[in-house]
Amino acid sequence: MSTRVTLAVVSFVVLIVHGIVFYDQFFNRWEKHQTAYFEQARSLAKTDAEKHALDERGPRIEQIIVTQFGESRVDRCATCHIASDDPRFQGHADPLRTHPYSAALGDVERNGHWERRHKFTDFGCTICHDGQGRGLETFYAHGEDAFWPDPMLGYVTQANWHAEFKAKLTGKEYMQANCAQCHTEDNFAGAPLVQRGRQLFFEKACYGCHRIEGLSNGTLGPDLSEVGKKFKVNYLWEHTVNPRSFQPTSFMPKFDLTDDEIKALTVFLKSRRGINFAETSLGQYRARLQHTKAEETSKTQSSTPSAVRGEQLISERSCTACHKLGDRDGHIAPDLSYEGLIRDEDWMMAHFREPKSRIPDSIMPVFGFAEADFHSISSYLKTRSTPASFKTGEEIYKNLCARCHGEKGDGKGVTYLYLDPAPRDLAKVAFMNSKPEDRFSQALKTGVSGTSMPPWERVLTEEQRRAVLTFVFQTFVKEPRPELKAHRVPEQNPVAFSGDSVHRGEQIFLQRCTGCHGRKADGKGPNSLDISPRPRNLRNSFFVNSVPDKRFFDSILYGVQGTAMPSWIDYGLTQNDVGDLINFVRSMNPQKVSPPSEKAPTLTSQVKQEVLCQGCK
Amino acid sequence: MSNQTTTSPWKTLVALPENIWRSIFRNPLPSSDLGRASTSFTNFFLHLHPVKVHRNSLKATFTLGLGLISFFLFFILVVTGILLMFYYVPSTTQAYDRMLDLRGTVAFGIFLRNMHRWAAHGMVAAVFLHMCRVFLTGSYKPPREFNWVLGMLLLLVTLFMSFTGYLLPWDQLAFWAITVGTSIASYAPLVGKDVKFILLGDSTVGQEALLRFYVLHVAVLPAVLSLLVAIHFWRIRKDGGLSRPAEEDALPADAPAPVEVISGPAVVMATSAAAAAAAQPVLQKRQYGIQGLVRGPFTKVGNVPDRSVFAWPNLFMAELVVFLITVAGVLLVSLLFNAPLEEPVNVMHPPNPAKAPWYFLGLQEQVSYSAFWGGVGIPTIEVLLLLIVPYIDRKIVGVGRWFAQERLLANFLFLTFVIVNVILIIVGTFFRGPNWEFVSPW
Repeated sequence: MSTRVTLAVVSFVVLIVHGIVFYDQFFNRWEKHQTAYFEQARSLAKTDAEKHALDERGPRIEQIIVTQFGESRVDRCATCHIASDDPRFQGHADPLRTHPYSAALGDVERNGHWERRHKFTDFGCTICHDGQGRGLETFYAHGEDAFWPDPMLGYVTQANWHAEFKAKLTGKEYMQANCAQCHTEDNFAGAPLVQRGRQLFFEKACYGCHRIEGLSNGTLGPDLSEVGKKFKVNYLWEHTVNPRSFQPTSFMPKFDLTDDEIKALTVFLKSRRGINFAETSLGQYRARLQHTKAEETSKTQSSTPSAVRGEQLISERSCTACHKLGDRDGHIAPDLSYEGLIRDEDWMMAHFREPKSRIPDSIMPVFGFAEADFHSISSYLKTRSTPASFKTGEEIYKNLCARCHGEKGDGKGVTYLYLDPAPRDLAKVAFMNSKPEDRFSQALKTGVSGTSMPPWERVLTEEQRRAVLTFVFQTFVKEPRPELKAHRVPEQNPVAFSGDSVHRGEQIFLQRCTGCHGRKADGKGPNSLDISPRPRNLRNSFFVNSVPDKRFFDSILYGVQGTAMPSWIDYGLTQNDVGDLINFVRSMNPQKVSPPSEKAPTLTSQVKQEVLCQGCK
Repeated sequence: MSNQTTTSPWKTLVALPENIWRSIFRNPLPSSDLGRASTSFTNFFLHLHPVKVHRNSLKATFTLGLGLISFFLFFILVVTGILLMFYYVPSTTQAYDRMLDLRGTVAFGIFLRNMHRWAAHGMVAAVFLHMCRVFLTGSYKPPREFNWVLGMLLLLVTLFMSFTGYLLPWDQLAFWAITVGTSIASYAPLVGKDVKFILLGDSTVGQEALLRFYVLHVAVLPAVLSLLVAIHFWRIRKDGGLSRPAEEDALPADAPAPVEVISGPAVVMATSAAAAAAAQPVLQKRQYGIQGLVRGPFTKVGNVPDRSVFAWPNLFMAELVVFLITVAGVLLVSLLFNAPLEEPVNVMHPPNPAKAPWYFLGLQEQVSYSAFWGGVGIPTIEVLLLLIVPYIDRKIVGVGRWFAQERLLANFLFLTFVIVNVILIIVGTFFRGPNWEFVSPW
């Protein structure tokens, strides 16, 4: 009996589900729209023939297949929007409404009849509007489905978009991104937002980091050539407002932009889809060639360099999106307010041409400005040469040091993420109290070569420097300085520089040091990410060459307190081993200045060759 | 009716419907035991079944109908799959559009796809649960060892079927799941890279892979699966029907079973070897030679308490119920939930995390600890162990009972394996976020 009951129940379920499915299948919403349209059109019909023709028509799926532009499209929008090309339905309610005629779109009115410039039969719908041409339900067709990459531009927002920005992402003007798919010319009047966005892309120096094919060649940030294809407007908007909203690790600066600017940038970026329906690939190639030529000529064209022009350039090119200059601060890169006292022109010019040539781990992009522009900027920066007038140590620290070393002296100022090596943690007592005071005052005076710590020599007087150092020790270190016991280390490397020594040093390095300093000695070993401060990049020649042998011996044999560097004398390294290590490290860093020791041989090409060949033997 | 030698054309015409009916179905609806037996073995489809079946095999709480559910899901998959094949094109440029068309324009398209999708997931689950049932009731013991092996192969083919089908919609979900899945395969030593290359026909998932997966999915694997299923079913009968405890046969029947001698080999109701061993001393003299068709067991000619019932209508009714429950379940789920269809494939933009299909998420979770051991080593060992279980665990005790006391160790080990894998799958599915970091689903 129970079997029969089960059978009955289950059969009933099967029947009901079938009923629902069949109902769903045969009563579509679009059919209702079409029936309504036929009725209204019949009442509007003027001739019997017209009426008769309408009687003949039954509901069916209307579709436009577009093959001209890129991949072929199937647009079934007219299944519901069946009156879109019927001029009698102007002003009706959606979906039975005539698509507006507009002179701006190129539509022409002749004797009271409008003629479309972009005929729907040729263009379809989704090429301008986006959305899902194949869908027959509003949810899918308009792209409300969060999985659909192209929701109708300016009309549809998806449920998972950030509520804060949703309202800003609607408006017809977003469709300009699609106008630019065919109308690629820079001055196309129909897409002002794209033009404005393109301008902003250069004004705000986006091009410095980002590449867009045919426009820029930045390498620091992601390539944006196809960004419009990859991302929806919500991402583009939000990422521009706050780069870390989607990618917590992004180091793109937050730019101070108005909503209108963000909108223009969003539309411009949305228009970057990597394809251009209007051009053949050959045409694109030609355009690119021409563009590169134009760029080259613009580079060679130079106005006379001047400090005034430099100041102008700095604000035009958004240098302060990263750097600090006076009141403006990008919170990423060093303060340029005293640059004229810190660096000389040669340094600046070399650094402009290739920032890594002076600060090896710098993240500053190479900007392809004209040489004259660089000269202008550096001559402007040279005018920034008023020494700092702050008096107390605290004042000096707050204004000059805290930006990198942090308000609390913990090495976590606003810029610390972007500096490599990171600013020193001044609150680490173990480190601060294990190094001679002389070292700190020296670092303050001459800076630390190869890093972002500049020489303050000319910015601060000796009293000022002493005041700030006292402030640091009193405020952050707090503990009294103990008597430092001098370690027994040689002043100069007793091991003569030779291929053999370098080779031995390399062996020791590979055995003992690579875990943190890395196989390339660039400070990026497998453990490096877990260590703070990060291991030294031993290929930073400026730094390595500025460090005397004595400090190397001290750091390797007795460790660096407050860091992960252990004292290797406890692990059995002898003075000679360390000597070999130092020779190995020095061999990797071509010396531009002669090493502190007079005995040590300068690295001639002959020795270099010997060293290099030893490495393989 | 029309057995007269001379008939008028009129009478021929009148008798036509019944003659046609009779020529197809030899028996009227049975009213006697003889008729029931006859109905079973004169019908092509019904004669795949035994004429009589043990009561124990009909107990819903014993089998849970899992084997049948798996088979019926496969049947649903074949039917819906063939219908979907009319619309599908295995091309990277067209596949996704075809999915959109199925959703938008094709009559019943979305429903077909839902049914196919959910039935496929259901089949993976049902086959796995069926394996659990067989293990936990000790049903893999001799003489059913080889059928267990066949069952394991069926499980693997089912997984592979589902995996190959996963790619076909050509959306982000499909693309990255297969990318992850095939990368797991490439961790195998020596042959891993080659296996991946043969599977994909390229170094990455692309047109070649789509075509290969399609052919495997619609032709090769269904053929292999059908063949294995056929052998699996055939073996059930040759191994003496479903397993049952020995005492089931030894119990005295409430009433003396009717003696029935029915001609034809189909009547043989083989019992398990265990039962045979128990009954052997009594029956030795009465064993019948014609049963050479059946290896091992004996015919019962009335002396054994008869605990079996006729397949018609008992077994067939039970099968019908299971079938309808399966269909109703698939229909309901398909009505309520749409099969996922994510963004079109974007090779440059992997989702984070990219996840394999759910049944491989346990593997992926293991891979996150160790690529080789998690992805290849441990699963291979698990499959091999499962394959040879019936050849290691040969003591015929606790057969045909759930969680038999005598099989405590075996069941404990097996359940540990099942639970660990289920936990890994749950962790991989719900607790893993970007960069495969632990996230809470709440």
